[in-house]
Amino acid sequence: MLKSISKGLLLLAVEVLFFGLFVFFMKANQTSTVVLCLLLFVGIGLLFRFWKKGNESLSCLFREGKGLARGGFVVMLLALPFVFRDSPYLIHICVMAGLYAILALGLNFQLGSTNVVNFATAASYGIGAYTSALLAVHYGVSFWLGLFISGCTASLFGLILGFPCMKTKDYYLSLVTIAFGLIVYALLVNFSWTGGPNGIANIPSPSFLGHSFRDPLHVFGVELPPQSNYFYLVFLFTAGALVVAHRLHHSRVGLTWNAIREDEIAARCQGIDVTWYKMLAFCIDAFFGGVTGTVYAHYIGFISPENFAFIVSVVVVTMVILGGMDNVFGVIIGAILLTILPEKLRAVEDFRLLLYGVIVVAMLMFRPQGLFPQRLRTYRKGKP
Amino acid sequence: MSELIQQGINAVLLGCTYTLIAIGFNLFFGALNVVHFSHGDVCILGAFLILILYALAKALGLLVVLPPWIWVPLIMVLAMVLTGLLGAFFERVVIKPFRYAPLLMVLVATVALGMIIRETVRLSFPHGSNPQIFPRMLPQKSFTWGGVLIRTDNLIIFGMTLLLITLMFLLIQRTKIGSAIRAVSQDGEAAMMMGIPIDRTVAATFFLGSALGAVAGILIGAYNNIIRFDMGLMGGVKGFSAAVVGGLGNVYGAIIGGLILGFVETFAAAFIPGGTPYTDVFAFLVVIFFLVFRPSGILGEKIYEKV
Repeated sequence: MLKSISKGLLLLAVEVLFFGLFVFFMKANQTSTVVLCLLLFVGIGLLFRFWKKGNESLSCLFREGKGLARGGFVVMLLALPFVFRDSPYLIHICVMAGLYAILALGLNFQLGSTNVVNFATAASYGIGAYTSALLAVHYGVSFWLGLFISGCTASLFGLILGFPCMKTKDYYLSLVTIAFGLIVYALLVNFSWTGGPNGIANIPSPSFLGHSFRDPLHVFGVELPPQSNYFYLVFLFTAGALVVAHRLHHSRVGLTWNAIREDEIAARCQGIDVTWYKMLAFCIDAFFGGVTGTVYAHYIGFISPENFAFIVSVVVVTMVILGGMDNVFGVIIGAILLTILPEKLRAVEDFRLLLYGVIVVAMLMFRPQGLFPQRLRTYRKGKP
Repeated sequence: MSELIQQGINAVLLGCTYTLIAIGFNLFFGALNVVHFSHGDVCILGAFLILILYALAKALGLLVVLPPWIWVPLIMVLAMVLTGLLGAFFERVVIKPFRYAPLLMVLVATVALGMIIRETVRLSFPHGSNPQIFPRMLPQKSFTWGGVLIRTDNLIIFGMTLLLITLMFLLIQRTKIGSAIRAVSQDGEAAMMMGIPIDRTVAATFFLGSALGAVAGILIGAYNNIIRFDMGLMGGVKGFSAAVVGGLGNVYGAIIGGLILGFVETFAAAFIPGGTPYTDVFAFLVVIFFLVFRPSGILGEKIYEKV
């Protein structure tokens, strides 16, 4: 009894330590402090890589107290807006990280699980954003309804994109998705009813039970900046996406996707309906993209085609590759890292895309499985 | 009628550019079964090299000393050679490590390489995000012939493309390195067993393709009078599309594919009311149509998948 309590306390202490480091890193203003923090993180990572015993005991600790570890993690994330309440900008970064995490999770179904290199993430992201923005601005449709409609619209477009993609593979498939992304971009720029290159402005903020998301949030007598509304919303969505992705990964569907990835012909011979499962990946990815786009549009309040250019797709691909293909948690960490790092390292802001490119090539060369490789599924009796 | 011919000339010119890029894609695909997604950026790099060389020549005072008919070809050939070397370098650094890796990796790596090239160009030029004015190196004259306005620089562009493509075919069909390239593209392993140095041949292929691509970049710059760092993305996708329409891996197909794309775009802009902003959309719809109904392209062989 005493032993388990002390173990739990140790676990929480480790989590709090890491959380404190993260907060310190986020709040650091000077580039030198940021770089020092980064070096510290890398150092800790390397230490646990080579210090086998510590690594084992720590992972054992976390495996035993799984529920506690997760609970503590969630509580700390929920407390972030309280910690950052003086600087809404930091909350904004966290919101963007969450949005990118959802996008990356969606893409992971294709790029990671099924080996379909889709460069049209930005297209579904944009379609979702424009659908709900147009509905809200012209017809006064509420955010929550728009969320559903734009997710479905994006899914529909994912389905449409899926048709030519079923007939093609490898390079040709990527060409189709790139072409699709460029077509959507060109249409968004040239249609007059989408606002053309100027985009759509004054997209209304959502409201929930009479509380507008534009107003500050009052929790336990503490006034939090308006961004924290979105923080909690995005946190909820990311958690939902994580659960969906995790369950899918461990279900028959995830296994089927992996089978298609390993060998499409062999999968077909096993009686797998390859077309159906690939289409499913396209639709789910597009749905995630559409939902993310909606939240983004209503959060920022202004969208233009530039937000949904080809480069956004490449950035999301980078996140999936850095985090680790087909590892749900790895992908999220990849997305968070690549959103936060450029924001914190203002000095290299201009080199952001260059850095992404270098990261992708370097990762593919030296660690193709990503920072957090996909682990083999473990099956136990009574548990799926 | 003269309108039709006028637009036809424009279409052929655009088609020439796409053909030059598509030849590169076909050469690379033949040599390594790889699609070099950053090839378009390498081509635009050629145009930016012209900018650098032009500024350099201007600073050295060469433009005044030498007559234009010497320094223009000189700069162009230099830019071609440099781009070719860069192309071979990129192959060695980014594509070669993935020769035996899953296809996904080289695909993503080349897309990332494209981003690296674009950003490097953007960051290393002053005001790199803005369009750069391309030096007017060709004579800006024009004459009418049967009611059709013909620009001299366009005529030169067309003649140059024709000459280069002919030279390339001669190189591939008649020379020793050309037959090595063909052998490697037919069967790399068999070629290796016949004693063909595969690395050197692949490097030569990338040199050749990138040098031709540089000409395409220069043509884009000369035709529009401006170049921008991100033109390579669209150029690369269009060039790859042209290669696919013609039949990937077939060098003759590049000409047909390039011309088809050129005609589709030009005629969509000219004869469909309000179609000018949507030329890219029409071009990509044609490409997707081809990919769905004839994935092997017009001249490509049908590929049967073996287990």
